[in-house]
Formats: sequence, structure tokens, C-alpha cells
Amino acid sequence: MAYTLTRAEDAVAADNASYPLGKRQSVEDPMKQQVHRSVFTGKLADVLNSTVNWGRKNSLWPYNFGLSCCYVEMTTAFTSPHDIARFGAEVIRASPRQADFMVIAGTCFMKMAPIIQQLYDQMLEPKWVISMGSCANSGGMYDIYSVVQGVDKFLPVDVYIPGCPPRPEAFLQGLQLLQDSIQQERRPLSWVVGDQGVYRAEMPSQREKHRDRRIQVTELRTPDSV
Amino acid sequence: MSIVETDTSAATAPDQRANALVTQLREQFGDQVLCEQATLTGMPVLWVNRGVLVEVLATLRRLPEPFEMLFDLSAIDERLRSHRHGLPKADFTVFYQLLSVSGNRDIMLKVALFEQDLSLPTVISVYPNANWYEREVWDMFGVHFEGHPNLYRILMPSTWQGHPLRKDHHARATEFDPYTMTVESQDKEQQALKFKPEDWGMKRHSEHTEFMFLNLGPNHPSAHGAFRLVLQLDGEEIIDCVPDIGYHHRGAEKMAERQTWHSFIPYTDRIDYVGGVMNNLPYVLAVEKLAGIQVNARIQTIRVMMAELFRITSHLLFLGTYLQDLGAMSPVFYAFTDRQKGYDVIEAITGFRMHPAWFRIGGVMQDLPKGWDRLMQGFVNWMPPRLKEYEKAMMENSLVRDRTKNIAAFDTENAFAWGVTGPNLRATGCDFDLRKKRPYSGYENFDFEIPLAHNGDAFDRGQLRIEEMRQSVKILQQCINNMPAGDYKADHPLTTPPPRERMLEHIETMITHFLQVSWGPVLPGNESMQMIEATKGINSYYLTSDGSTMSYRTRIRTPSFPHLQQIPVLMRGGFVPDLIAHLGSIDFVMADVDR
Repeated sequence: MAYTLTRAEDAVAADNASYPLGKRQSVEDPMKQQVHRSVFTGKLADVLNSTVNWGRKNSLWPYNFGLSCCYVEMTTAFTSPHDIARFGAEVIRASPRQADFMVIAGTCFMKMAPIIQQLYDQMLEPKWVISMGSCANSGGMYDIYSVVQGVDKFLPVDVYIPGCPPRPEAFLQGLQLLQDSIQQERRPLSWVVGDQGVYRAEMPSQREKHRDRRIQVTELRTPDSV
Repeated sequence: MSIVETDTSAATAPDQRANALVTQLREQFGDQVLCEQATLTGMPVLWVNRGVLVEVLATLRRLPEPFEMLFDLSAIDERLRSHRHGLPKADFTVFYQLLSVSGNRDIMLKVALFEQDLSLPTVISVYPNANWYEREVWDMFGVHFEGHPNLYRILMPSTWQGHPLRKDHHARATEFDPYTMTVESQDKEQQALKFKPEDWGMKRHSEHTEFMFLNLGPNHPSAHGAFRLVLQLDGEEIIDCVPDIGYHHRGAEKMAERQTWHSFIPYTDRIDYVGGVMNNLPYVLAVEKLAGIQVNARIQTIRVMMAELFRITSHLLFLGTYLQDLGAMSPVFYAFTDRQKGYDVIEAITGFRMHPAWFRIGGVMQDLPKGWDRLMQGFVNWMPPRLKEYEKAMMENSLVRDRTKNIAAFDTENAFAWGVTGPNLRATGCDFDLRKKRPYSGYENFDFEIPLAHNGDAFDRGQLRIEEMRQSVKILQQCINNMPAGDYKADHPLTTPPPRERMLEHIETMITHFLQVSWGPVLPGNESMQMIEATKGINSYYLTSDGSTMSYRTRIRTPSFPHLQQIPVLMRGGFVPDLIAHLGSIDFVMADVDR
């Protein structure tokens, strides 16, 4: 699996640097080299990493942040009929400093963008971003003067959820995809142990993954009866 | 099928009272009243000279049956408009729409302005809620208002160049350089957002104390979206506050100028984004007036039914979040469970949850599916016991009562002055609901009541909405029992998209169908307007057609905009927790404010 490497020391806030700060490079799984050096410590690092990732992915604290319509569907996912607690992500935080991930649920406005950046900067590592809905993904149907055409113009996005707005189920699926991706991550186990880079797995595109199954559908349900 | 819409609000024949009023104004102001414009707005539209504007407004405000409320104020860039025969010359037109609740009528005043002298006197002295509307006109069109105390941009960032609703301003983001944000520009924008009390005539300290300025928002759990409120505090007490909006401006009005009449429908859903198809209703009704389409009783009833269903889901969201803002955790879980039940029905009928964009010009998207009544009956049976439970568990809760009784209370006078409509107005005891006063889409055929309250406080606003849900359930039941038979699309050449069966007849109908679907329908040049009683108050679409496939100007008057403007008047001298209770009780979404 391919990984994207980012390093904290690369993210220098020079005046003319544009967001997202830092360099991103494509690399191989760093764990492979570990195994080449010593099978025992390599395996140990692998197990430790998996355990930590398992803990991280099952206790994700979402930041209570909403922009527009998508936030209503996101909230719907938090409430009892959809029950996000099943995925360990029910501890909603009102402060970015306590949150693990931020869902850009709604349209990213030019007036709001600098604020979103600040809130993102206030979150502590490890942190992730889910872009929820067409507006956050690409501007969607709002190709208009006041809207940023996709939040990834300045934030690094981990998962994109399509829809306008996506159903709560789609949000839950996006959350699970984020969990899958977190399980594959390689982060430093401590600030004194080993490589300090953050390796994010390049996860397969869901559209391509499910394409074969999807095009096999030839008959759709008629909308004429419930 | 043959029942024709009786639209009392849009009577094309000008009625006696309107004539008398126009005559009176002409007598009093002579040739300062330039002309009366014939429109499909259903109200007299008068062009007046700039010099007498304030005086005319003051006269109308003082009539025996006064125009109590400045309902809307905005502008039109006339420079590219070709269909304006007989109208005074103008580069820009600023219009003032007044509403008389006591007389149940409207009037619109228009003032012509020229590019080299875009300036008008402010009318804040007559109608205090003109403040934000004038700021918006300044922001969007660059019209200056003399004597305005703080004529700053309201929707766009203060660093913005240009005035977006001018015809020479770009519409698409992709017409412009791609957006990038650097460390420097982010810092600059953040600095520009810094609050300077002196700009708002505020003092930093009094004799005894130094005030604290607290930013509530633009991202705050109780702010219901991207809304910022700067509080001037002395301890817990709010000395003054300044609401700051525009963090949710999606340029819907500009968007309407580049979408076909038909393809703008999905954008209306996203104005009051919890109101769903309720938002389609004023738009399609206004377009149908331009097109001259009359729809049958089935279409009317389907529209009413879906709109009322969305009123219930919207009010449920209100109820859940209102009580959550007061600190009650569980109501939101109950309310969202009910919303899910509602969405099951909505999804079965329209195929989508929040934004079905299901109404069409001259009809609805498709006929009701088989078995819809069984589903709807299930929801109608489900709701009443739940509402009873909410009333008992929540509204009779002493903590809720203590937090909301006599909090942020205002009377009808105050509501008029600030342009408050909908349940918030009715909570003050004013019986004004358009569904009864100016029935549209066949509301006159339904048996329901308009709930009223009397104290106009945060509690009444909550309680009233529970009662409104009961009435909506009652309307739904009548829809199930008496759904008329008929087509789901009107038989009219401008119905969009045209009936599919017609397309297959011969090449002529095929071409017409193709053009109407690709280019969209061409509507005759005119102006029309429709107000409806939406979930949060009166929502209206004022359409100006220039005889093209697209709107020349679409003005969307939303109820939440004035509701937020009123906050400082109510909160001065209140405490921070009262403010949170009030914010919860207003029932607003930011898309309904900033559009």
C-alpha cells in the first residue's frame, strides 16, 4: 500500500506559504524497512502501532462544527435512530482543542474559510478532516462568488462524502472509512521513538472499488409505489 | 381537475382600497409620485422621487390603517433590462415593500437612481429595521444611504472588492482565479474580522467597570450555524450586542440570474434548509403567476400536504435544539426520532430527504406513489401522542419554565418595528397568518386554527410551535381523507418539464419539449411576487422577468434576517443564559438569513 508522508517540521508558517502547509510525498510502507532491519523489533513495532491505531479509531471525538444543511444530517447521525455511539464517536466536543476530527459539514464560504483554518490549527495532532457533502467536496451546486470551490483548497481532507446533503448513513460510512484509514496509519509511537513522520495510507477509491457490483444492477425499483 | 385557483393576494384587477390609497398619495405629493407600475405582484407599485421618499413612508406609517412593517427593502440593477416600457429612467432601483397587518395589504415604493449619484436618505427613523436592509443594499449594489449610523458591509467580508449583485460583477467563482489562502491572507482576513467597539458607538469602559467584549461565534454550539454575536458584557449582564452575519452567504439571488426558471428550484430548497419543499412553494407560485399557469386542486393539495409535513419536521428540529440550548439533553433524541418517521414518508413520496426540489412550474415532479396514504396515516397517528408527551415532559418542566418565561419578551408593536413575522409574531398575540389571511394554494379549503400566545416570550415561542404542529397534523389528515383526483401537472405550454406523453406525439411537440428542457421556459417580461407562511415566518419571492429563460432579478425575502436584527433590542440588560434561551427560541437557520 502506498503512503503519504508529512512531517511537522516542514509546516513552516512563512507569510507567503499557502495552506495546506508542509510537503507531502508519496512513499512506501515504512514498516517494511523495519522488518528488514530486524524481524523481531519490526513485528513488535507493527503490533504496537496496530494497537494504538485500534484505540484511536474507536474513540474518535468529533468537533461540534457545522456550516449548513449537511450539519443537520450529521446531527441526525448523532441521535438515537442512527446512533453514532456504535462507532465510538459520540463524544462531541465544543472545543477544537479536545477534538480528534472535524467534519466540514456544509458550504465553505470565503468569509468563513480563514476561521475554519484557525479552528483546524487549534486542533491537536493526531487530527483528521472529513469533507461532508458536495459543497465541501467541490463547491457543489454553488459555483458562486462567495463560495470556496472545495475545502481541500486549503485543508488536507481524509475522507470525502458525496451527497447534497449525504444521508446520515453515508456520514456513518464515511466515518467507518476514516476508521479504516486510521488503522493503516503509521505515526510516531512517542516523540523520542523512531521516525517522526506521519504516514497516511492512500486508501482505494470507493467508486472504483464498488463499480463492478454497481453496474450489474439492471432493474431499479419503481417510484410509483412505496 | 377543473377547480381553478382562487388567489386572493394576486388579484390582477386593482382593488378599490389600493386605488383610493394611490389617489390619496397623488393628491398629497403631486407630481413627486411619478407613476404607478402595472405588475403581477398584487399590490400597487409606485415610483416616487427621492426627495419625498422619507415623507411618503412616514405618511404611510401614520395612516388610520397604517403600514406597520417594512417588509422588504432591496434594489434592482436596471442597466441591462430591456422590458421597462413606461417606467422612469433608472440605472438602479431601490424598492421598499410595506406591509399593513391591520389592513391586510401591501404597497411597494420604488426610487430611481443613477450611476453617478447612487445615494438615498436612510429611513431608519421611520422603520428601524431598514438598518440591515440598507446595509445589504450598500453591500450588494453600492448604493449609499445618507445618515445611516453604520453603513458597513453585512454579507460580504469587509475586505471584498465590488458589489456582487451588480450586473457587471462576476457570478461564478470559476470565472475568477482559483481560491488560495496563504498564511498572510488568512491573518489579514482574521484581522479584518476584529471587532472595534468604537465603530459601533460602544465604550470600552464605564465609570466603574471595564467592559468585556465576548465573541459568540462564528462557530458556537448555540449559534445554530455560522453566526457571530459580539457581546459587550458587564459581568453576566449584556450591555449591548452586535450580531454579525454573512458567514453563510451563498449568493442565491445572483444564482437565480444564471439558472433557468426551472433549474433554480433546487436552490430554493437550500434557503431555509430545514423547510424542504416549503421553499419551493413561493417560488413556483410566483413563476406560475408570470407564466399564467393555474393548477388543479390535486396539485394544490399535494403541495400543501408536503409543505405541512416539512413544517412539522422543521418545528421538531426547532423543539429539539431549543430545549437542548436550555440544557436538556434528551428532547433532541426524541424529536429526531420523529423527524426520521417524517423523512420515511417524505422519502417514499419524493425520493429524497432534506432537499427534494419536488415542486415544478405548473405541478409537482411526479404523482403520489401507490400506498402513500398508508404511510402518511402512520405518521399522522404517531405524532399526537408524542406532542402530548413533549408538552408534559418539557414545557411543563419547571426548569424550562424558569429559563424561558418572561425572557426576551416583546410586544406586537416591537415585532412590527423589527419586521418579525410567523410564529414569533403570533406569540405576541397578533393573529396574522397568511394561510388564513391570504390563502394560497388552496389553504382556504382546510379546517385548521391559528394558535396564538400572549406574552411574546421565549416560552410562548416554544409552546406555540407545538400547537402549530398539531394543526399541521390536522391538515395532513384532511389531505389523506380528501385528496382530489386529477393530473399532477397543469395543462399549459409553460409547464416545466412538459408532460412526457406529449413529447412522443410528433416532431413539433418533440422540439418544444427539447427546448423547454434544455433552454428552459421563456417567461413574459413582468414582475410577480408570492408570500407564504413558511416554517419560520413570511418568506417571499419577488421575481423580475425580462422576457428570457432566466430571471432578471430574484429577491428572496426571508423571515430569519429581521429576526436576528432584533436581538440587540431584546437583549440589552439581559444575561448571557437568557440570550442563549432567546437564540434557541427564534428558530433560525443561517441560510435563511444570509441566503
